[in-house]
Amino acid sequence: MIQLSRNYSLPEREEEIIPIKVIGIGGAGSNALDRMVLDGLDKGDLIAANTDMQSLASSVAASKVQLGRGVTRGLGTGGDPELGLDAATEAGDELRTACGEARLIFLCTGLGGGTGSGAAPVVAELARETGALVITFATMPFAFEGKRRAAQAQEALLELQKISSAVICFENDLMGDIVAPKAGIHQAFAAADATISQSVRSIISLIQRPGLIRIGFDDLLAALRNSNSRCLFGYGESDSDNRPHDALTQALKNPLMDRGRMLSDATSVLVQVAGGPGMTLSEVEILMQELNRHISDDTQILFGTVVDGRMGNRLSVTIISSLAADGAVVSKPAFERPAAAPVPSPQAGPEAKRSPAPELESQPAVEADTAPEAESSPSPDAPGKFVPEAESAEPPPLVRPLQMIEATLNPPELADEIPSEETDSIGDIAEVPEPATMPQIVEQVREPEPQQPRVILPRKKTTPLKEPKPAENSVAKQEVLQFESVTRGRFEKSEPTIVEGQDLDVPTFLRKNVRVK
Amino acid sequence: MASSDLMVGLEIGTSKICVVVGEGRPDGTIKILGVGQAPSRGVRKGEIVDFETAMKCVHEAVVDAETKSDVMIRSVYVGVAGAHIQSFNNRGSVSLPEDRDEIDEQDIEDVKINAREVSIPSQNAFLHSIIQHYHVDGQDGVLNPVGMLGERLEADFHIIHGVRTRIQNTIRCVKELPLDVEDVVFTALAAAQVVLTPHQKSLGALVIDIGGGTTDYILYVDGAVKQSGVLGVGGDHITNDISMGLRIPMTRAEKLKVEEGAVTLGNCLPGETVQLKDDSGFAGKEIERETLNTIIHLRLRETFELLKRKLEEEPFINYIGEGIFITGGCSHLKGIDHLAEEVFELPARVAHAQTMSGLTSAFENPQFSAAIGLIKYAQAVQVDRRPTGGIRRIFGKIFSGMR
Repeated sequence: MIQLSRNYSLPEREEEIIPIKVIGIGGAGSNALDRMVLDGLDKGDLIAANTDMQSLASSVAASKVQLGRGVTRGLGTGGDPELGLDAATEAGDELRTACGEARLIFLCTGLGGGTGSGAAPVVAELARETGALVITFATMPFAFEGKRRAAQAQEALLELQKISSAVICFENDLMGDIVAPKAGIHQAFAAADATISQSVRSIISLIQRPGLIRIGFDDLLAALRNSNSRCLFGYGESDSDNRPHDALTQALKNPLMDRGRMLSDATSVLVQVAGGPGMTLSEVEILMQELNRHISDDTQILFGTVVDGRMGNRLSVTIISSLAADGAVVSKPAFERPAAAPVPSPQAGPEAKRSPAPELESQPAVEADTAPEAESSPSPDAPGKFVPEAESAEPPPLVRPLQMIEATLNPPELADEIPSEETDSIGDIAEVPEPATMPQIVEQVREPEPQQPRVILPRKKTTPLKEPKPAENSVAKQEVLQFESVTRGRFEKSEPTIVEGQDLDVPTFLRKNVRVK
Repeated sequence: MASSDLMVGLEIGTSKICVVVGEGRPDGTIKILGVGQAPSRGVRKGEIVDFETAMKCVHEAVVDAETKSDVMIRSVYVGVAGAHIQSFNNRGSVSLPEDRDEIDEQDIEDVKINAREVSIPSQNAFLHSIIQHYHVDGQDGVLNPVGMLGERLEADFHIIHGVRTRIQNTIRCVKELPLDVEDVVFTALAAAQVVLTPHQKSLGALVIDIGGGTTDYILYVDGAVKQSGVLGVGGDHITNDISMGLRIPMTRAEKLKVEEGAVTLGNCLPGETVQLKDDSGFAGKEIERETLNTIIHLRLRETFELLKRKLEEEPFINYIGEGIFITGGCSHLKGIDHLAEEVFELPARVAHAQTMSGLTSAFENPQFSAAIGLIKYAQAVQVDRRPTGGIRRIFGKIFSGMR
């Protein structure tokens, strides 16, 4: 959802401090935590939760929760998810205390083993009960770890998807591609951890940084709304001369991005461009233009941009998206399910299907988090600020007009719009199953995309066919051209290319005497 | 991994220099480990015009590739293009000695040497001699005559040659770095290795590689190269035309071409315009989309028509069964395939490298077809060199006096 703030002259907004906790469950989880500490994640409290006492002791996380004091007695679960589940249930109170008043909880876990697969859903459940938004980072086992583990992981993943607000799933098999073939196995695992750490950090800064065009939870959830999905995540940073290009290339190279290929199938893509004060509009434009080549025309782009002094000369781009498992489903049952189950809030009725923002309000967990009017909010000062526009101010102005468009202008408006976009997008837009998403897409395409039709759109919308003036302009220009002697431009000094008696370096339209107007 | 399995393709293009590092797998596939590139300066129409600058750019690209692929590059396969490259078909023949009637490897070598005994301009050198077919005692279409009985062996070759000094310039540019040059390969030949499958080659296909400075083409019929060549027109010409026609700076014209350019006419609304943002030293400008497309269209139509006339000098274009494959940077222009279809009256499509693994984004970009093709070529040659590999010769490759 795009929001342009008008207060450019105001001093930079303070960074909003949201209580964030990162919980690492099981061995893989605490490895990821360790990595985050190394990477200097300072914005959230890190909590390691594990059954294995030895591993827990070696963790560098600030607080630690031992799971299953009585069940496993400080040993691991031996790959049994049942045991993991019991262990986590036993440590329920401790975990609840650990979650505290956090409003955003990241769970990091490696699925397939006992603790990860068994305990993670329990922890997620507990975290949700505290009213926080839960984003789970799950690592799927390598294929060579066997089918049993894969099945356990899959089961746990489904469970987590039901509970968490969003699940970002990393496949270890894909991680193999980022490390050089010669690299040792520890490097492969380290790369996996680094990717998770990077994702957590970038998501935190994504929603915490005060942006010129800011991105809130709603956008994040919109980007991740396909349940049972593949998460596409890419982060790139560059300070080279061609930093927009380099950053984007790097982001698209991320293994979770599947090298940019699957991006074309995504329904919505969240993009945040962050840079120092030196970041120029054209850089953002170039970057978005380039990105647009990877995504289809009817993809909704949730675009945000941030100017952060600490970025210095660097420019970073974060791309988050998700794909439905079959690549076609546009709905978002993951969030509707928990929303419908606990409190079918009355206001969710008409709007729940619309955008992710109102949907959030209908979720008890998120309500506490984000909606400013939420009385139950545990820490009222910070939350009031947190995502104020994105959540509360935005839905009314944006959603309502959209629905009006949908109701009134839908067929004619679309018919007018589409030819002006890429012609081949007609079919795609027509295929979008639910009409509810249509105006949104149109709106999106119209506004933020720096793709080619953007420039001409406003004019066309109003007066599509009459445009005599520029034509006249170019007529005048063309007269000048006629007087020009035959010239070869940049090839003036190079060896002429003469084929069939014609100097091919001279523009074709000059040689053929075609009037270019 | 044995170092011999590491293959590096270097293409010194007019707009960019591209280095692809690949690794040959035992099963014959290739994995791309990294792609390095650098904007090219000092190259016009596929030929080096500023030696020092070009060398710096090549160095930059090689370093980039080394960083990205994490390998040390020692030797490369270099692609060459340029309007000086020409080709023709020739038949060589040898008679077997009286006392022997089984054709052996030596006879194959002899017939190849015989085929090259034609007059090419004295300043030219052979780049490739590609076997098309053998004939044994008048029997046509023999693929591998070794072991066959006969008295007279004839062979049709497609011979590609170019100006010696210009090819040597390219080699020297790489050797100064210093890197070893494993081989010099005509870029269209390289591109065809990855764009076409053997099946498509045998059905008959035309590959058009439209790069920054040149348009290279190669035509396959019956699995053999029948025609190839270079037209000294490429994307730079389009940019130049736009720059002159719309009176905007080259850099702007290039950007406009890449971002907005399309080939098809009559596809935009009357009066539809493209806004050029103002910038330091350049006042903004509004450009009619149809004008832009007309300029591009005229240039590309002309290029295709020239190409068609060139190809029609020989009958082979009538035997294309599979169609036209357009690759290279300019193939990104929207609608280029339709234009080719219209001009050549053959099915046309934009194609990129296939049958690789590794960096997907790299080989799915038609810009890199030639550079990746160099690796494929390298692999074919390396397999060929192995004494145990009893694979049919595809490339009769002699390169005497050039390295």
